[in-house]
Amino acid sequence: MTGELINEISVLWSWLSPAWLLIGACLAAYLVAFWGGLETRSWWFAGSLAGLFVAYVSPVYALADGVMFTAHMIQHLVLLLIVPLCFLLSLPRARMAEWLARPKVEPLGRLLSFAPVGWALGLSVMWVWHVPTLCTASLQSSWLGVFQDVTFVVAGLAFWWPVFSPVKAQRLAPASAALYLFTACVGCTLLGIYLTFTPISVCPVFARPAAGTGLLEAVRAGGFSAGMDQRLGGLLMWVPPCVLYAGAIVAVCRRWYAGDEEAAATGESLEASESVK
Amino acid sequence: MNGEATDSIEQDGGAPKDGATAEAPMGKILSWVTTVDHKRVGIMYILTAVFFLVIGGCEALLMRIQLAFPENDFISPAFFNQMFTMHGTTMVFLVGMPVLIGFANYFVPLQIGAKDVAFPRLNAMSFWMLPFGGFLLYYSFMTSTAPDAGWFSYAPLSTKPYTSLGGVDYWILALLVMGIGSVAGAINMAVTVLCLRAPGMSLQRVPLFTWMAFITALLTILALPALNSALAMLFIDRWLGAAFFEPARGGSALLWQHFFWIFGHPEVYILVLPAFGMISEVIPVFSRKPIYGYSFVAGSTVVIFLLSYGVWAHHMFAVGLGMFADIFFAIGTLLIALPTGVKVFNWTATMWGGSIQLKVSMLFAIAFLIEFVLGGLTGVMFAAVPVDWQLTDTYFVVGHFHFVLIGGTVFGLFAATYYWFPKMTGRMLSEGLGKLQFVLWVVGFNLTFMLHHFLGVMGMPRRVYTYSDEPGWALLNGLSSLGAVLMALGTLVFVWNLWISKRKGKVAGNNPWGGFTLEWATTSPPPVENFTELPEIKSRRPVWDRDHPELADWKSAKTPEDKGWRPFKGKMAISAFVASEVVFFVLLLVSFVVFNSGDRGGLDGPSPLNVPRTGVFTFILLASSVTFWFAERALRGGNQGGFLRWLLITIVLGLVFLGGQAIEYAGLIQSGITIHSNLFASTFFTVTGFHGFHVFGGIVALTILFILGRKGDLTQKRSKVFSAAGIYWHFVDVVWIFVFAIIYLRVLQ
Amino acid sequence: MVWLAESASSVYPVFDPASPFAEAIYSLFLKVLAISAVIFLIVAGLITVAVIRFRDKTGGNGEVPKQDFGSHKQEIFWLVGPVIIVVWLAAISAKLVFTVNAVPQAHPDAGEQPDEEIEVRGHQWFWEVKYPGHGIVSANEVHLPVGKKIRIKLTSEDVIHSFWVPQLTRKMDAIPGRDNYFWIGASKPGVYQGRCTEFCGMVHAWMNFKVYAHDEAEWEEWIAAHTKDPELPTGGLAAAGQKIFETATCIDCHMISGVGGTTMIAPDLTHFSSRGEIGGGVFVNNRENLEKWLSDPQKWKPGCKMPNFKLDPEELQQVVAFLESLK
Repeated sequence: MTGELINEISVLWSWLSPAWLLIGACLAAYLVAFWGGLETRSWWFAGSLAGLFVAYVSPVYALADGVMFTAHMIQHLVLLLIVPLCFLLSLPRARMAEWLARPKVEPLGRLLSFAPVGWALGLSVMWVWHVPTLCTASLQSSWLGVFQDVTFVVAGLAFWWPVFSPVKAQRLAPASAALYLFTACVGCTLLGIYLTFTPISVCPVFARPAAGTGLLEAVRAGGFSAGMDQRLGGLLMWVPPCVLYAGAIVAVCRRWYAGDEEAAATGESLEASESVK
Repeated sequence: MNGEATDSIEQDGGAPKDGATAEAPMGKILSWVTTVDHKRVGIMYILTAVFFLVIGGCEALLMRIQLAFPENDFISPAFFNQMFTMHGTTMVFLVGMPVLIGFANYFVPLQIGAKDVAFPRLNAMSFWMLPFGGFLLYYSFMTSTAPDAGWFSYAPLSTKPYTSLGGVDYWILALLVMGIGSVAGAINMAVTVLCLRAPGMSLQRVPLFTWMAFITALLTILALPALNSALAMLFIDRWLGAAFFEPARGGSALLWQHFFWIFGHPEVYILVLPAFGMISEVIPVFSRKPIYGYSFVAGSTVVIFLLSYGVWAHHMFAVGLGMFADIFFAIGTLLIALPTGVKVFNWTATMWGGSIQLKVSMLFAIAFLIEFVLGGLTGVMFAAVPVDWQLTDTYFVVGHFHFVLIGGTVFGLFAATYYWFPKMTGRMLSEGLGKLQFVLWVVGFNLTFMLHHFLGVMGMPRRVYTYSDEPGWALLNGLSSLGAVLMALGTLVFVWNLWISKRKGKVAGNNPWGGFTLEWATTSPPPVENFTELPEIKSRRPVWDRDHPELADWKSAKTPEDKGWRPFKGKMAISAFVASEVVFFVLLLVSFVVFNSGDRGGLDGPSPLNVPRTGVFTFILLASSVTFWFAERALRGGNQGGFLRWLLITIVLGLVFLGGQAIEYAGLIQSGITIHSNLFASTFFTVTGFHGFHVFGGIVALTILFILGRKGDLTQKRSKVFSAAGIYWHFVDVVWIFVFAIIYLRVLQ
Repeated sequence: MVWLAESASSVYPVFDPASPFAEAIYSLFLKVLAISAVIFLIVAGLITVAVIRFRDKTGGNGEVPKQDFGSHKQEIFWLVGPVIIVVWLAAISAKLVFTVNAVPQAHPDAGEQPDEEIEVRGHQWFWEVKYPGHGIVSANEVHLPVGKKIRIKLTSEDVIHSFWVPQLTRKMDAIPGRDNYFWIGASKPGVYQGRCTEFCGMVHAWMNFKVYAHDEAEWEEWIAAHTKDPELPTGGLAAAGQKIFETATCIDCHMISGVGGTTMIAPDLTHFSSRGEIGGGVFVNNRENLEKWLSDPQKWKPGCKMPNFKLDPEELQQVVAFLESLK
């Protein structure tokens, strides 16, 4: 795309976004919650914050707001996949184990570790928010938009929990985790194929956006048509998540070959109960 | 010895096992025909493949003779087109897959210390589908014409208006038959690896050949149904007048390509992964070292498995998919280079510092490494989209995939044959003849296919029956044909070596090469149930540990212990089958969405379907899942009466649902809507029809279980079997939920 | 003006680009080739060294080598190079895809406007070529002005074909029911060989074509010559030939502007005698070959739609004379 367009986009940073409050609050909450129990892995939390930054401060935010379906998609993916994953990876193991063992919290952990819940949540937010009416509605009502973003983060946490829970006992056995991720990849592949190849405008706001945004005209003049926008969005829905899932499967395999005694033991108890049936 | 394995064979009702006793000739043949022994089935697979290898090779020779000179008229264009179609189809489906399945059949149970595969009779059935399919395919020569639309039968060339004769129909039927056999065989193989491992053989310890055979089986289970669903649609086009792939009537030429390559690209790995496995056995043994980085070799295979489903469109860079799709698929394709590179590195590192014995098997393994790297690198060139735009569909691509499939798969197979022949027959293959064959093949192969790359750069398209006398073309084509003759001579030497060594070869003994894995712990050839005694399995190389107690692997390299996980094989088999059915239905549903959204013209006007009425029948079908669950609970709880009652209700609900479908069909047909009316009707009848068949199949299965229950053969003790059947029944219901949502409620339109 | 079938100029057309697009692809190809060669030399070299250095010369009775199970660090170390190469290849291919392929498929009117647009339609087994800006219809030859940016709209009448002129541009499939758009151009005048590269049935081998790139003056001349209908013969052999052409059903499949015909079942013959080749590359277009062709088309291009009309020698001479008059 042309250089002019790049210039236009580069002024779209939302430096004064209230999202800074959110980022600051998250950082503060994290530090307060885990102060004294921080581990090296806590650096992963920077990834979560960076995700929020990309989603709300970078030009992605301005473009996602009814200009580019692609940017909208990037925002979703960051909120659904990157932010929760980095958060889970950052959680200090010892502190979390202790906390999750508390009687009041324990049922929550157990619910999260029930794989079908995470799988269904993770995939259904992807699919449901791309039903044309809902997709349009979420852009027209800011409250619905916020709700949408919250569901992405929550569903993302639920999705990753059975694979990367800070407590080993709550993780799926390696083979099941691989299956979990593989089927999730199939799910987003189908959605990606649908978005990429369907002649229907999945999010009509982007195909016929409200007139008057000079930015959009610049985007279109750069040769980036509505159809291309949706196809690129569909490919983004498809390929990056699958690459991420494939990466997660590799991580699971590594864990499995390392013969991690503890993980293997928990996996084994699940598997054993399976084979007893 | 192996409790689980013993159980399983007993459960199979003591299928007849044939000894190697001396019998009358007729009896001997019959004993092979009726055998269910995995080793004999394996050998039959391999021999069938060798038979078709000779045929497919002759087809290649005829083509090479035709192309040896410009404007040659040795064979007609019609016959040439049949030759390359049959050559491709034969080599992929009747040689490549069977020979690899054959080796897996023979050696996987041996390598994991099992007595046989999980379902020996299913195994025999899978095998017999193969000659049946081969017969169907070649029978086409007796009819009007052999298939002549290329091995990937691109639509619309393969549709009735452009190929009206029956060759393509035989092609479709043969591939369906062989596809069903391959999926059944793959399910068997996957379940065998999961459920029949000897104690101590954890999944992290299985030999790499077994691991690759396992992954190949998973690939087959998930890839073949894509082809089957495309073939079914093409057959419906050709015989029932639908137009899925006829653009002139609203269909899509590209949909066939998508469906074919969703199968076709994983197929490449189905053909090459087992060879990777063979190489990973041969190189360590002849270097007298363990495989370098076992977990990287095994893990990279998983990565290849995952990526192989995401790169099919790199076969379609020239169709104009759009730049983003091109780039994403290019990246996916380039990524596959990484796990493949990891493997090459590990094989090289295994040789490094070893004590390399240049037996013929090892020579082929080394040739494999070099040729495969070349084939892989030209593959990377094709991943750079613009290079593909120049060179796809030229002789460059012919050179590329022959380097992968001959330099890779076939050289791997030769290495494996020289390595395992002693185990299979008790005699060594002649090293002298082997070296002669090696030289003929390496020289002939490189002469033939290296030159193809140049021809591609010179602009020669693939699949031309002749060419005009451009500068250089005649010379290179002539030399290329000469190379093919050398390979044919090499094959003759090979077949002679097999023949003579089987009779007069040196006696091998149990472990002539100093092999590491369990197949070398038994006699050559192994007895009917494989082992009289298994060595203790505490590492990846139990036979090495036994022979070198002071250097045993488990002392220096810890591997995850076997925790005894051996799932119930019935449940595993049904789950694998359901997974493969999922792919089949997903593709059918995708075709519905493709043809019924936007202006594709599936349906003009309102939907003729009666949504409320079908809603009721949907509810009835879903209720049958609940009643099934009640039946299952009753059976587990020992309540035989309740079990039979609930099961009967389930069957009746299923029948009522089918009745509902019959009413729907009758209504549509009365209002003049049949499968060839328009694309909506074609997709509707195809999807619901196949679903109906599945419900019907489920009802038959449940009825059989009901009868068994009545007779007292299916009781609490065997409730596992019933639960396994339940996976299928629930699956059929779940499919309907999607069918109802997409076709009736039209949620995606 | 006769465009004699000069033999296409290049032996290695992929390595001999004659347009900015082909040039860009060629330079990418060279980079990929170079990197592949380096990788191959490293790997093959390591394997050779391993075989020579570690070959067991004791016949299997020597010491057991050190049992090395691998090292994660080594594996990661050896992965770094390939990862860098893969990223680099992805980047340079993506960049080129954006420049060479920047023709929006769904919206041909957006983006850069072409200097000329040509419509090409694949048939079993010939190429129909139209110049909508000039009202010219032709077959099996594409004529271009040098140095211009030309867009081809490609589709197919029947099965899938593929349009490939290696010296000038990317390959593109001609797909029924779908329009594909791509750029073509030539930086110097010349004759460039084109071929069909997707198997399209019986005589896929004879679906060749030529691309003629003209300098500006020549191009004007060509356009002028071809926008006019050919001068029809007024008497003699050729006029008799025209009669046969019209009555012996030739005209049911071949169109000739000014003579008639309505269907494009076979190549348009309007300016036939200016063409270089017959039958999609079967023959060079001259009298002798034309006679051969007309006396038995199925012998030279088996399966093509043109039957043997069994013309007697006199009729043959007349038809040949008529066709030769179509300048």
